[in-house]
Amino acid sequence: MALNEENVILKMTGITKRFPGTLALDNVDFICEKGKVHVLLGENGAGKSTLVKIISGVYTRDAGTIWYDGKEVNFTDVRQAMAAGIGMIHQELSLLPERTIAQNIYLGHEPMKKGLKGVVDYKKMIQDSKELLDRLGVELDPNIPIHKISIAQKQMVEVVKALSQDVKLVIMDEPTSSLTSREIQKLFNIVEKLKEDGIAIIYISHRMDEIKRIGDSVTVMRDGQYIDTLDAATVDLNVLISMMVGRKIEKMYERNYCQLGEVVFETENLTGLRFRNVNIKVRAGEIVSLSGLVGSGRTEIAKAVFGYDPIDSGKIKLMRKEIKRPTPIKSVANGMGFLPEDRKSEGLVQPMTISENMVSACLTKTFPSRFLNTKKESEIGEKYVKSLKIATPDVNKVVEELSGGNQQKVVMGKWLETGCKFLIFDEPTRGIDVGSKSEIYKLLDSLTQKGYGILLISSEMNEIIGISDRVYVMKEGEVTGILDRGELIQERIMHYAVGGKE
Amino acid sequence: MLKWIKKLNIPGIAIGDIVLFLFFCAVAEHFLSGYNLILILRNCSTLLIVAIGMTLTILVGQIDLSVGSVVSMSAVVVALLNNAGAPLILTILIPLIMGAVVGFINGILISKYKLDFWIVTFSTMSIMGGLALVIANGETISTKNEALNFIGNGRIFGIYTVIWLTVLVSAIVIFMLKKTKFGYNIYSIGGSESVATASGIKVVKNRTMVYVLSGIFAALSGLVIACMTNSGSPTVGHEYTFSAMAAVVIGGTSFEGGKGGMVGTIFGTMLLRILASGLSLMGIPSTWQKAIIGIAILILIVTDVISEKRKNMKGLRRVYLDVD
Repeated sequence: MALNEENVILKMTGITKRFPGTLALDNVDFICEKGKVHVLLGENGAGKSTLVKIISGVYTRDAGTIWYDGKEVNFTDVRQAMAAGIGMIHQELSLLPERTIAQNIYLGHEPMKKGLKGVVDYKKMIQDSKELLDRLGVELDPNIPIHKISIAQKQMVEVVKALSQDVKLVIMDEPTSSLTSREIQKLFNIVEKLKEDGIAIIYISHRMDEIKRIGDSVTVMRDGQYIDTLDAATVDLNVLISMMVGRKIEKMYERNYCQLGEVVFETENLTGLRFRNVNIKVRAGEIVSLSGLVGSGRTEIAKAVFGYDPIDSGKIKLMRKEIKRPTPIKSVANGMGFLPEDRKSEGLVQPMTISENMVSACLTKTFPSRFLNTKKESEIGEKYVKSLKIATPDVNKVVEELSGGNQQKVVMGKWLETGCKFLIFDEPTRGIDVGSKSEIYKLLDSLTQKGYGILLISSEMNEIIGISDRVYVMKEGEVTGILDRGELIQERIMHYAVGGKE
Repeated sequence: MLKWIKKLNIPGIAIGDIVLFLFFCAVAEHFLSGYNLILILRNCSTLLIVAIGMTLTILVGQIDLSVGSVVSMSAVVVALLNNAGAPLILTILIPLIMGAVVGFINGILISKYKLDFWIVTFSTMSIMGGLALVIANGETISTKNEALNFIGNGRIFGIYTVIWLTVLVSAIVIFMLKKTKFGYNIYSIGGSESVATASGIKVVKNRTMVYVLSGIFAALSGLVIACMTNSGSPTVGHEYTFSAMAAVVIGGTSFEGGKGGMVGTIFGTMLLRILASGLSLMGIPSTWQKAIIGIAILILIVTDVISEKRKNMKGLRRVYLDVD
């Protein structure tokens, strides 16, 4: 792409960022021009958010250089980046629900009364807020507290907040994820106005259709690496998808598809806090996956099914029996196991031993006498250490000393011991090294051989494609597509996850 | 009429105050007498000054358990300094500086070194409470000074000096919370520390300042108590920590932080003092009073938690715009 050096507002070269255990950004280059919308594209975990957090001063880089507005800069906290004219619209709404719209817009940089040190000029704040809201065509009274407005309106307030200071560069991290098409149009009108004022915009999105609507250029990232920058007007969307998805699937997955048994789990028009009309069916011997982007409602379904969160309407059936008003106690009693995403705080009691954790979900079943029997406890521990190949010198080791993969196996052992028939795995391989990953997949496969039904929630496409019998793809709380084993390719899953129905 | 009341934004607890007041007027003899009403106000003032500091710490989402001990320590220090013949200005300033130092230590350990606020303020509570007993030799020290007595028991334009003082301090803090940058920051930090940080607010500095103020207000209350009673007792502040917490919470300031304010605390303090006065005048023994006050607080907090939970659920819900 031709680049007009004079127009460059931001230039990043060789940006590298390490987090414990992962290389989040690997030698990334990025350039942004005034008055242009630069789309940043990539899968979950590709490093987009990390990159913009480095620009806005939330993280500091480990290596690389940043030129901004003609100078080399080194922001060490948010305040410096803000003062330099970098505005950020966060993915998670960062507004204070109890404060008014005006107070939120000017959070941290309230207008002060002249001559009175430290006294906020609320009148001016309201007036300025009104002006800003009007200028951007948002019809809202700046005096209302945030908790009284809708999520979409909050998103607009976020935009206004970012523009309340003199900005030269605005970063928008998935600003449309909770907006309707009409509101998106409004937001795009705002973006057009910003462009006219010569403001540069970094726009992170998963929605392919938006790239051509507002993007000038598009940069693709994958696994923390810079892939390419292309002209948004002429780019072929299919090319972009394959660039995002990229890597070849390794031979990590082994799946011996077997004879399916009866239906172990079923939902009918299940509607809850963040999803609606969900119909899922899992049979014995089957791995069924929920795919979709972050925030599409996958985990929320699992939590509602297990009984953490309330359900509005619809039915849940376990072993063909309807579970009314599910609670975790009822779910476990009826043969469900739940392996949460956050093993550390929700899956295991960290300071307890392997065997203690193994029996923790079924104490009454294991010890009908109601008294603990450490010998029996150890036997159960030994059994799973052997069958699940947990790497430990003995069963009395405290679980916090185990690696992520071995901890996950202990959680599996804990549920198998309850005698359940249906297991929900929420991101079972997150934060686990490659070797242990393939072991977990083998274990999942062997569970299906033994007649377990499995519901898998995962952000990793490869994993889903590699081991699923069937995939439900979700977008904004609804199932937008169902794909069977033979139809599983990343592009199709992505299509349903970001686009519409067929 | 209703709209007008709504516009004034009076916390619901004010109605509780009025109902309770009318109730005691009806059932407790001598409750509605000039003497008793002034007594209630005077009793309110010492608690309210402590509760002001407590409002600030609870607004930033934390708590200061050390205030009661600082009250005691301050009262003892005032009595000792006066008996030692210290000049009036030092007798007033030294306890306040002592409060500020304790607050600063709490604040810096909690915000800068990220120690748990329960543990830190529990420790300083224990330290200050113990030291107060040590320097007072475990006894109440009586003291005499015209100027101090004027602060505690004198009147300006027919109204007690302590009441003037309390009104003044409350007004300053209300102004501070509603109109100044520092007040805004307190709400922001309490509302969400991560949002405050991402908005460029200096969380460590502001939070430390809140603890310093909490310490100063507790010391001021101790000073006032010493002036009112012409003595310094090393245990006089014992009940203040939990009474102040109760006043704040009854006043609608939430332990989650970022929600509530000073006006509620004033009504909360009055509710506690009206209850105590009314129950005593009804002849109910002080042992029972405690239990009854406890039940009242519990009811208020339970309703608060339930409504808060409902609101949170509402916020989590995904909104579909094709359904009406």
